[in-house]
Amino acid sequence: MFVLLRQLQRLRRDAALTSPPRRGSLALRHVDAGSCNACEHELNAAANPYYDLARHGLNIVASPRHADVLLVTGPVTARMREPLLKAYAAMPEPRTVAALGDCAMGCGVLGDAAALAPPLDELLPVAIRIPGCPPAPDLIAAHLLAHLHGEAPAA
Amino acid sequence: MRFARRDVAPAAWRAEVSNALADGWRFAGLWAEDGDAEPALRAAFSRHGERLLLAASAARDTIVDLVPAAAWDEREAHDLHGAAFAGHEPLRALVDHDAPTEAWTVPVEGRDVFQVAVGPTHAGVIESGHFRFHVVGERVLHLDLRLFYKHRGLERAAQGRPAAEALAYVQRACGADAVANAIAFAHACEDATGQAATPGLARARTLLAELERLYNHLNDLSAICAGVGFAPGTMAFAGLKERAMRLNATLAGHRFLFGAVRVGGSDLAISASAAAELRSALGELRDETRRAWRELQFAGSVQERFDGVGVLELEDARRLGAVGPAARAAGVAIDARTDAPRLAYRDVLPALPPRADGDVAARVEVRGAELPVVFDLLDELLAEPLEPAATEPGGEVRRDGVALVESPRGQTLCAVALGEQGVVERVHLRTGSYANWPALAHAVPGNLLPDFPLINKSFELCYACADR
Repeated sequence: MFVLLRQLQRLRRDAALTSPPRRGSLALRHVDAGSCNACEHELNAAANPYYDLARHGLNIVASPRHADVLLVTGPVTARMREPLLKAYAAMPEPRTVAALGDCAMGCGVLGDAAALAPPLDELLPVAIRIPGCPPAPDLIAAHLLAHLHGEAPAA
Repeated sequence: MRFARRDVAPAAWRAEVSNALADGWRFAGLWAEDGDAEPALRAAFSRHGERLLLAASAARDTIVDLVPAAAWDEREAHDLHGAAFAGHEPLRALVDHDAPTEAWTVPVEGRDVFQVAVGPTHAGVIESGHFRFHVVGERVLHLDLRLFYKHRGLERAAQGRPAAEALAYVQRACGADAVANAIAFAHACEDATGQAATPGLARARTLLAELERLYNHLNDLSAICAGVGFAPGTMAFAGLKERAMRLNATLAGHRFLFGAVRVGGSDLAISASAAAELRSALGELRDETRRAWRELQFAGSVQERFDGVGVLELEDARRLGAVGPAARAAGVAIDARTDAPRLAYRDVLPALPPRADGDVAARVEVRGAELPVVFDLLDELLAEPLEPAATEPGGEVRRDGVALVESPRGQTLCAVALGEQGVVERVHLRTGSYANWPALAHAVPGNLLPDFPLINKSFELCYACADR
C-alpha cells in the first residue's frame, strides 16, 4: 500500500493540480439513457488523480434526491425515458439538466427511430451542454464549473 | 481461412447442429434475419482456422439443450424477429420489456424468500440495467437479469447502408470495445468481399486491439479495487488507465481510438521516431503497472476479499459458453487471439491464472497475467514504423461474412450479409459481454447481496454492447 500511495503522491505532484480559488459546489447525479459507455468512462475519469473533480466541489452523488444537476448521457432510448423522467422528478428544486456528450445533445444520433424516445431537449429543460464523443474529463469539469460560477463555457 | 456455408432444411436444423458439435465445431452465435414469410435462422461455429455458417429459411426446433450458450440468442431472435423455437420452455422474454415480470423471472418460492429489485439506474456512474435478486436475508438464491434498457436498434439502423457507413453503428455499440467491434465488422465485410489482410494492415489493427485491451484491463483492476473500497488501488490503476488513454490520443487522435479502424484498410501511420517514443512511454507505464500490481498482491486484506467470491465453475463456464478473462479464470483455455489469421498474433497462448478457481481472485489474476503479454505485444508491434495499408484480393466473394475477434471482454462475433454493391443487408454483433452475462448471473447465487458489485466488477461486462 505504501508504494501505491507514493506513486499517487508523485502523480499528484506531476499533474500539478491547483486548489481552486473559488467556493461553491454542485452535487451531480448521472443517468445513462442509452450511451455507448464512453461518456461513463470519461465521467469516472474526471474523478481520477489527473483531474480530481472533487477539488472544485463537484461531487457525484448516489441519489437524485441529493442532486443539483442531472447529468444525462446517451440519445434517450424508449426504455430509459421513464426512468430518466422519474430521476428528474425526484430531484429537489432548483435543479439543472446537463446533456453530457453528443448523443444526449442530439447530434448525429445513431440508432433506430423505433427504439429511441424524443431527444433529451424535448423531454427536459437542458441548461448545460457538454459536447464531444465523448467529452474529455477536463471539458466536463470546465462546463460544469462555468455553470457553477455563472460564466460562459470556454470554447 | 476456410469458410463453409451449409444450407439446411428447417426440420433438419437440430440434427445439423448436433452433427457440427460432434465434429468438434464450437458454437459462436445464433441470430435471425428477416425473411420473406418467416424469419430465417443463422448459426456460426468455429474450429481452428475454420468457420461454419448454418443457414435455415425458418426456425423450428430449439438447440438450447444441445448448446446452452444459445439461450440468449434464441430469446433475442424470438423477441426481435418473432422466431419460435419448439422445445425452448419456457422461452422467457429477454429484449421484450412489455412482458410482465412473471414472463422473464424464474419463480423462487419458500419461507422468507423475497425479491430485491435494483436499477435500471444505479447509485454511481454505471450503465443502465435491471437486476432482480431473489434472496433470503442477505444470501442470494437466484438472480434474474433484465438488460436492453439501452437497446438503440443499432443492427436494424445499420441495415441498408454501405459498409463504411454501417461501421459507425457497430463501433458505437460500445465505447470500451469500439476497436474490437470495429475490427470484427471490418473482418466480416472483408471476409464476404474476398479481401485478405496485408501484414501491415494486420499489424495496425493488432496494435489498436492491444491498446484497447491495455486501458480496459487497467480500468477493470481499478474498478475491482473500488468494489472492495480499496481507494489507493482504485486511484493508482485509474491513473495508469489515464496514461494509457493519453497514449491512445497521441497515437490515433482519440482517447477511445474511435475512427481508427476502417473497412478495407488502415490510415494509421507511425514514424520510426514516434514508434520509439511510444515504446519508451509504454515501457514506463509497464514498470509502474508492475509495481502497482505487486502492491495489490501484497495487500492481504484486499486479496482476502477476492477469495472464493462469485465462483464460476469450470463445467458451468464451458456449458454456458463463457469467453474471455471470465472463462480463462475458470480454467477454460480459450482466446480468440489464438485463432486470428487476419491479425498479427503469432504465438499468443490463453493466459490461465495459477489457480483457475473461477472466483473474483482468479479473474483479477487473469488481468495480471495478461497485462505483461499486452505490453510484450505492443513492444513487438512498434519495433518498426507503421504505414497506411490496404487489403488485397485473396478469397471468394460471397454474401456472408463471419469474423471472430478477442475483445478485452472475450470473443466477439460479427456476421454480415452483403447485398448489391456491398450494402449491408444484415449485421449481427455478439460481443464478449453478451456471451458472459448469463455466466455472471450463474456465479452470483450463494453469495451475499452486498458482494454483487464486486462480482459484477470482476466480470466488468458492458451493457451497451449487449443491448446494442
